Amino acid sequence: MNFDISSEQQILQDSVDRFVQDHYELDKRQLLVLTEHGFSKENWQTMAELGWLGVSVPEAHGGFGGNEIDTMILMEAFGKGLVLEPFLASTVLGAKAIADGGDEALKTEMLPGVVEGSRQLTLAYAEAQSRFDLEDIITHAKSDGQDYVINGHKSMVLHAGSAQQIVVSTRTSGGQADKAGISLFLIDADAPGVEITSFPTVDGQQASEIKLEGVRVSSTRLLGELDNGYELLNALATAGILALAAEAVGAMEILYKDTVSYTQEREQFDHALSDFQVLQHRMVDMFMEYEQCKSLLYRATLEVVQNSAGAQRSVHALKYYVGKMGTFIGENAVQLHGGMGTTEELRIGHYFKRLLVIDAQFGNSDHHLALFAA
Amino acid sequence: MDIDLSSTDLAFQQEVRDFLTTNAYNNGTDYAEWRLNWFKLAREKGGWDVTKWPEKFGGPGWSPTQHYIWEQETAVAQTPWDLPFGLSMLAPVLMSYGNKEQQNRFLPDIRDRKVNWCQGYSEPNAGSDLANLKTKAVLSEDGTHYTVTGTKIWTTLAHIADWIFCLTRTSDSGKKQEGITFLLIPMKQAGIEVKPIITLGGAHTVNMVHLTDVKVPVENRVGEEGKGWGYAKGLLAHERTGLAGISKSLAALENLRKQAGEVKRGNGTLLDDPSYRAKLAELEIDLLATEFTELRSLASAANGAEPGPESSILKLKGTEIQQRIQKLTVEAGGIYSAAWGPMPVGHLFARGGMSGYLSSRAYTIYGGASEVQRDVIAKNVLGIKKSQSK
Repeated sequence: MNFDISSEQQILQDSVDRFVQDHYELDKRQLLVLTEHGFSKENWQTMAELGWLGVSVPEAHGGFGGNEIDTMILMEAFGKGLVLEPFLASTVLGAKAIADGGDEALKTEMLPGVVEGSRQLTLAYAEAQSRFDLEDIITHAKSDGQDYVINGHKSMVLHAGSAQQIVVSTRTSGGQADKAGISLFLIDADAPGVEITSFPTVDGQQASEIKLEGVRVSSTRLLGELDNGYELLNALATAGILALAAEAVGAMEILYKDTVSYTQEREQFDHALSDFQVLQHRMVDMFMEYEQCKSLLYRATLEVVQNSAGAQRSVHALKYYVGKMGTFIGENAVQLHGGMGTTEELRIGHYFKRLLVIDAQFGNSDHHLALFAA
Repeated sequence: MDIDLSSTDLAFQQEVRDFLTTNAYNNGTDYAEWRLNWFKLAREKGGWDVTKWPEKFGGPGWSPTQHYIWEQETAVAQTPWDLPFGLSMLAPVLMSYGNKEQQNRFLPDIRDRKVNWCQGYSEPNAGSDLANLKTKAVLSEDGTHYTVTGTKIWTTLAHIADWIFCLTRTSDSGKKQEGITFLLIPMKQAGIEVKPIITLGGAHTVNMVHLTDVKVPVENRVGEEGKGWGYAKGLLAHERTGLAGISKSLAALENLRKQAGEVKRGNGTLLDDPSYRAKLAELEIDLLATEFTELRSLASAANGAEPGPESSILKLKGTEIQQRIQKLTVEAGGIYSAAWGPMPVGHLFARGGMSGYLSSRAYTIYGGASEVQRDVIAKNVLGIKKSQSK
C-alpha cells in the first residue's frame, strides 16, 4: 500500500504548481475570460512544451504515455488556479477517444498535433432531451457508401468554438435510450453542415450548441466499433469524471483555506470571526469533507488504473460526493465570508461557480447516487 | 383555535381576488402609469396601498387573517413592483420616533411611491456587528447641522434612491450601541458617491456609498441624538419578518413543480425521479410549518406586540427555504444550468436558475447573518447567558 506519488510525478506536480502560480492570479484570469475563446494561446503552447497535452497519449504517437494518476495531478493543480485552457475537452476526452478508439492511421494523423498544441479536440455527448443519460441519443449517422451522414443536435459541448475536430456520439441503430447501437465519429469542426453557436458558461468557460445537418464523415473516422460505441463513450465519461473530480478537489482546497484565513483576519464583536466556535466547527466540517473527497478521488482513480471490479461504483460514489460536498464547501465559504463572499471581487465566488458547473457535468450528484444504489 | 376562514374572511378573500383580477396589468399599456394608478385604486379601497401601516396613518386595520389572505393572494397575482425601504423599514420608525413635522414631510411621498429610499446601515467593518459603525456625524457649533463622513456598504438600490436613512456615530464614549444617531440624508448632492458592487449572480443591486463632509440639517435627525440604535433595532425586527417571504415561496414551489414536470427523464419527467420528489416533499413540509409559524407571529402582532426575537425564526427558516427552491431549480435545469447569459439553451427556466441561486446565497447573510440570528434566539429567547469563568 502506497499513496505517495513517484519522483517523476513529483516533478510534474512541481511544474504545474509553478505554472498556476505564475499565470493564474485572479485578475489575469478574469482578463482571459473576456478574450474571444476565453483562454490563452500562449498558456496552451506552454502546456504543449511541458508535455502536458500529451499526458495520456501513447509514446508511439509522441505522447507521455501516462495514466489517470498523471492527469489527476495536473487537474488538481488546475483546480487551484481555475485554469481556463481546454485541457479537459482536448486531452482528457478528445485525445483519449482517438487513442483508445481510432485506427493506427487516424492516430498518426491526429495525435501528434494534439500533443504539439496545434490541434484542439472536444467531445459532443449531451443532447437537449438526454439530461444525464449518456445512452439517450437521437443524433443519428446513416451509412452511405464509404461514408456516414450525420444529422442531429448536440448540447453544451465544451470549447467547440476553438476546436478543430469534434468527437460525436451518434445512434447507428436501436432505440433512443439503448446502450446498443451507439457509434462515435470524429468530425471536422469546419465540415459542411456543422453549425456551432458558442456562449459563456457560469464559470467563465465556453461551451457550444452544435447543429449537424447532413454532415458527411468517412468510415475511417469511426472511433471504436460500429454500434458498440457505448463502452468507449462510458470510458470517456469516466475519464472526464476523474479529471473533474481532481479539479474540484483543488478548488475545494482553496475555498476552505481562504475561509480559514479570512475568518482569522476579519474582526466583528471585538473578536476575530475565527474565535466563534460555531464557525470553527463549520470550517472543520469543510476541511473533513475536502479530505473525504480526496480519498474517494484516490480510490476511484487507482481502481480505474488497476481496472478493479468495483471501479465503476467508486466512480459513481466519487461524482456524487464531489457534487454534494462541492456545494456544501462553496456555500459555506460564501456564508463565512459574509457580504464580501457574495461579490465578484473575491476569488472564492469564482471557485464556487466552477464547483457548481462540475456538478452539472457528466451527471450530477443525484444521478450518480441513483446509479450507485442501482 | 380554528383555521377555517369565517364567512366574513371568505367575503374579504373574494373582494381581494376581484380587486387583483380587475386591476391586473394588460400587456401593451403603459406600465408606470398602471403602477401608480394601481396604488391609487388600492388606496381608495381603504389603505390597501399601505397594508402594514397602522390605521392612524392610513392603513386598513386588518386582522392577522386578513393580512394572511392578502399575502397569499398577492403572491400569485400580478402586483406592481414595490420597494420595502421607505414603506416597511423607515415608515414604522418615523411613526414611532419621528416628530409630527417629519411624519407630514416624509410619509405622504413614501405612500405615493414618489420617493425612493435606501438603507445606510452596514459598513465595511460593521456587518453582523452593526454597532461597530464608524460613519461620523459632527454637530456644528451653532447646532443647526451635522457634517457626515464615512462609508456605507451593501446599500441596496442606492443608485436609484433619492434619500438614505443612515446610522451615524455622534459619540465614541460609553457602549458601542450608545452614541448612534439616526439621520435622513438626500442622495443627490455633492459629497455622496455611489459605487456599484457586482455580485455573484452578475447583478448590480448593491453599492458602496461614500459620504464626505455631507451637511445634514438637524431637523433631519429622527428622535434624540445618541438613541438611533434603539430605533433601528425595532426596525431590524420589521426587516426580518419581511424577509421570510412564505407566501411567495409557496407560489415558487408550485412553479418549480411545473418546471420539473417539463424536464424529461427516461420515459417520464423529473417528477418521477424519487430523490427529486423527496426533496420537493421535504421542502413543502418545511414550508407548511413555517407558514404557521408566520401566522402565529402575525396573530401575536395583532394583539399589539412588537415583532420580537421570535421573528428571527422566520428569517432563518424563510431564507433557507428560498435558497433550497433556487438550488432545486438549478438541479432541474441539469447541464443547461451551466449556461450563462441570454443564450437560448435548454429549458427557459434554466437560464435564470443559476443566477437566481447565486444571488440567493446573500439571503442568509443580509438583514443579520443566520449565525447571528441563532445567537439572538439563544440569548433572547432561550435566555442563555454567558457563565462566569471560574
